[in-house]
Amino acid sequence: MYELLTGIIFYISIGVCVVGMIIRTALYFRGLAWNLDRVAYKAFPKQGFQGAVRSIYKWLLPFGTHGWRKQPFMTVIFFSFHLGAVLVPLCLLAHNIFLEEKLGFHLITMPNLLADFLSWVAVISAVFIVLRRIALPEVRILTTWYDYLIIAISVAPFITGLLARYEVGDYSFWLIAHIVSGEILLLAIPFTKLSHVFLFFASRAQLGMDYGIKRGGLKGTKMAW
Amino acid sequence: MFKKILFATSATEASDHAARVAFNMAAALKAHINLFHVLGVPTRGYSQVVLDVKTKEKVEIDDEYISWVEEEIRTYYANQLKDRKIDLSIKAVVGIPHREILRQAKEIKPDLIIMGGSTGSDEESVYKSNTGSTLQRVAKAAQCPILIVNRPAASFWGGVSSIVFGADFSKASDKAFEFALKVAQAMKCELHIFHALDITSNHMGLSLSQDEIEERIRKNLNLIRARYVSKMTDKKNFSMDVWEGIPYVEIVKYAREKHADLIVMAHSSRKLEGDAPKIGSNMEQVILRAGCPVISVNH
Amino acid sequence: MPEGIFCNKKPIETEEALKAFMGDTSGAQYYKEMQSLDVDSDLLWKTIQNTCKSRIRTWLEICAHCGMCAESCFLYLVNDRDPKQVPAYKIQSTLGEIVKRKGKVDNEFMRMAMETAWAKCTCCNRCGLYCPHGIDMGVMFGYLRGLLYQQGFVPWEMKIGAGMHRVYRAQMDVTEEEFVETFQWMAEEYEEEYVGLTVPVDVENADILYTVNAREVKHYPEDLAEAAILFHAAGENWTIPSKGWELTSLAMFAGDWAACKMQVESVYDAMERLKPKRMVGTECGHAHRATVIEGPYWAGRKDGQTPVPSIHYIEWLAEALREGKLKIDPEKRIKQPVTLQDSCNYVRNHGLREVAREILSYIVEPGYFRDMSPNKEHNFCCGGGGGFNGIGLFRHQRNKGLMTKRDQILKTGAKLVIAPCHNCWDAIRDLEEEYEIGIKWSFLKPLILSMLVVPDHMKPEE
Repeated sequence: MYELLTGIIFYISIGVCVVGMIIRTALYFRGLAWNLDRVAYKAFPKQGFQGAVRSIYKWLLPFGTHGWRKQPFMTVIFFSFHLGAVLVPLCLLAHNIFLEEKLGFHLITMPNLLADFLSWVAVISAVFIVLRRIALPEVRILTTWYDYLIIAISVAPFITGLLARYEVGDYSFWLIAHIVSGEILLLAIPFTKLSHVFLFFASRAQLGMDYGIKRGGLKGTKMAW
Repeated sequence: MFKKILFATSATEASDHAARVAFNMAAALKAHINLFHVLGVPTRGYSQVVLDVKTKEKVEIDDEYISWVEEEIRTYYANQLKDRKIDLSIKAVVGIPHREILRQAKEIKPDLIIMGGSTGSDEESVYKSNTGSTLQRVAKAAQCPILIVNRPAASFWGGVSSIVFGADFSKASDKAFEFALKVAQAMKCELHIFHALDITSNHMGLSLSQDEIEERIRKNLNLIRARYVSKMTDKKNFSMDVWEGIPYVEIVKYAREKHADLIVMAHSSRKLEGDAPKIGSNMEQVILRAGCPVISVNH
Repeated sequence: MPEGIFCNKKPIETEEALKAFMGDTSGAQYYKEMQSLDVDSDLLWKTIQNTCKSRIRTWLEICAHCGMCAESCFLYLVNDRDPKQVPAYKIQSTLGEIVKRKGKVDNEFMRMAMETAWAKCTCCNRCGLYCPHGIDMGVMFGYLRGLLYQQGFVPWEMKIGAGMHRVYRAQMDVTEEEFVETFQWMAEEYEEEYVGLTVPVDVENADILYTVNAREVKHYPEDLAEAAILFHAAGENWTIPSKGWELTSLAMFAGDWAACKMQVESVYDAMERLKPKRMVGTECGHAHRATVIEGPYWAGRKDGQTPVPSIHYIEWLAEALREGKLKIDPEKRIKQPVTLQDSCNYVRNHGLREVAREILSYIVEPGYFRDMSPNKEHNFCCGGGGGFNGIGLFRHQRNKGLMTKRDQILKTGAKLVIAPCHNCWDAIRDLEEEYEIGIKWSFLKPLILSMLVVPDHMKPEE
């Protein structure tokens, strides 16, 4: 079972995820139309690029935009969740050993203590994200079962990972559960709302180009995000 | 002398005195009279909604509504028009009142515009903004004389025996004088040329000694002689005076003393200082206070 | 009755049809017919497939339903935080549903979508600034309006507006002759006060081509006079086009893209015919957006630029004051608390956030300018944008919407609101009428004129 999950199924999941992301990103940019979007992307590549970078950069900074500053609670839980969600899977020592073994390369690793901490933060933040969804009427009205499913898919690897880490009950069961949930996550990325892990950059870049070219950029005004 | 009269009416009590004069004139002079009414001001951006000036209600304008308003105006004046042969037309439009009156004047080129006095608080509408009333604006721009009837006129057209001309020595004032003279000759009546020396301290900056005042009065009398009397070659029944005081008060007093049936003034286009430009505020005050109609001439 | 006499999928193309349409007072019959207007689902879906590409599809897909856009929307805030006014909800429940159901929606749905598109969104694009994913719901509502217009589900006044542009190439029934005549009439009327005032018509190679809003011609021609006086005082070599003088586009509010194209092409034709150095448009926000920002795309211009550089009136005014072409009498500067209404259409959507402020620095005595909060590109819509001002059916919603601006103005303590935008100006006038807070409002032109040092050559002899 373990062999299968860390073997062929792992390769399929990571392959589908990476190839899926590449294809979808390519399709996104190919689908941009200067006349329908009413943005002269090609006529002003420099201004477009600058606008795109600015638009992404500002929103990656906690409290970097009016939007983030307006909602400090959301900003805190959002960034603490995403910090864990991005760093832990990529930089956990065990993941990198696994990666080295399977694909022959690894990324920067982080101390286990930090990884533990970030994982807990991510899980706790996820709980708050769910509570926020339930508590605030303006978020509740938007929420569907699909949103909870997405959260479940994103958080499951953390929960199972932590349970395995602390060896609660049967370690090998939680490990298998962790691998399965991780692979579900990988497979879900290109096909669900989780596509925002890359489409976030695409969409932000698009609006950045819009402002960088059409809505003030050519006038020399940098949008105060 | 007036073949075509444009009577801009609010079709309310505010215009009643003006209406009486207007219809009497039209009948006496066999003139064509165009009853013109701005029924509402456009509101709400580009919607079809209009604020009805009479009912203060927001109404949707269409041709039917406009014909209905025109019929209402006819009904309103039915009593005064009864048994009289008056060549009459009625038109109601939508727009900002002063602008539409001017537009109509440009269109039909009347010899005289007749307007009622201020509709008072009703005119304190949001459209007035800070640039003056309908009357001021029409008086400023109209190419023909404007007869303003605010208070019940002691007499009506056809019985004019005394005209007071309020002079201020401006270009427009020359035009006003020409007109006053023309009317006086046509009516064969007295013409009283009058100038009020403004001694209000805020105007001069400092108060004047009596000697200085009298010196100025003499100067102004000479000015009247040179500027106006010289043009009256065959007119005998006239007089001229210069009084000192607050101009509008003096003009009203003078008109009362001379039993004036009509005051003729230029609408001074000179701008007064301050952020509330009361263009021709003198004229406004005279209109409010005088016991007879006032004619404003600017061109 | 699938297609009504008035309410149908056909645009208004002739003067006759327009008059008949307007004869249906308040659109009573029109809205009645709308109740049974059929939805052409095939057409709807085909249009979406052809025009709804990756940008909007991705926006609809990746919306995280986080609700961060809620507080960015003045209509959400002013309607007691009604969750149904959350921008993401508004667009997901309308455009989102139509796409999801592949266009298979019914009449009732379309009428709901119409109300949402025109009474719950002014296309001010503020929400786009507050979405972490950069989802601009104002843009999507603009797109939705196009779909609704195509299907005939459009507010009565909007259909009139689009029809006006189709018939007259102007938002009101003002013909080319009437435009030129009125402009000349105004110059004549003011010529005595400002010597030498003229209106150059159709002069080729002028420095400035001036374009206006038909409302000015129809109802407030003083605005034309003021523009002429200021150009004259600044010594500009300017002209007006006898054809292609209308800067505005109610067709944009209506979502009638074909009419939008016709309208802006008439202006671009004037540019190409008269070859001015640049175009200056009047103090109007949506007009600037239509002709200068969006127009080039409707007209198929790949660089997104107008045939000659085109600027907003405030840009010209700031330049003229900066360079000393127009001189202000410092004694006459504004000495009362004054605030500025930032128009979404050229501030948020064209980056002109500092220009009007520069003008105010010349015409307001230091210490009297009170900025609204929020301001600049984060300012709230006046409450009447995107066509909201003009739609009788949604008057109640609009009046409620005005409360945002009312409270913003009250907070500044200003007694005068400068609104260099027709829509904002109208909205602020209406809010004073509705709520009577004792303010005045003004375009820039009359203010500048009241404090202008008139050059000697323009002064009448006396």
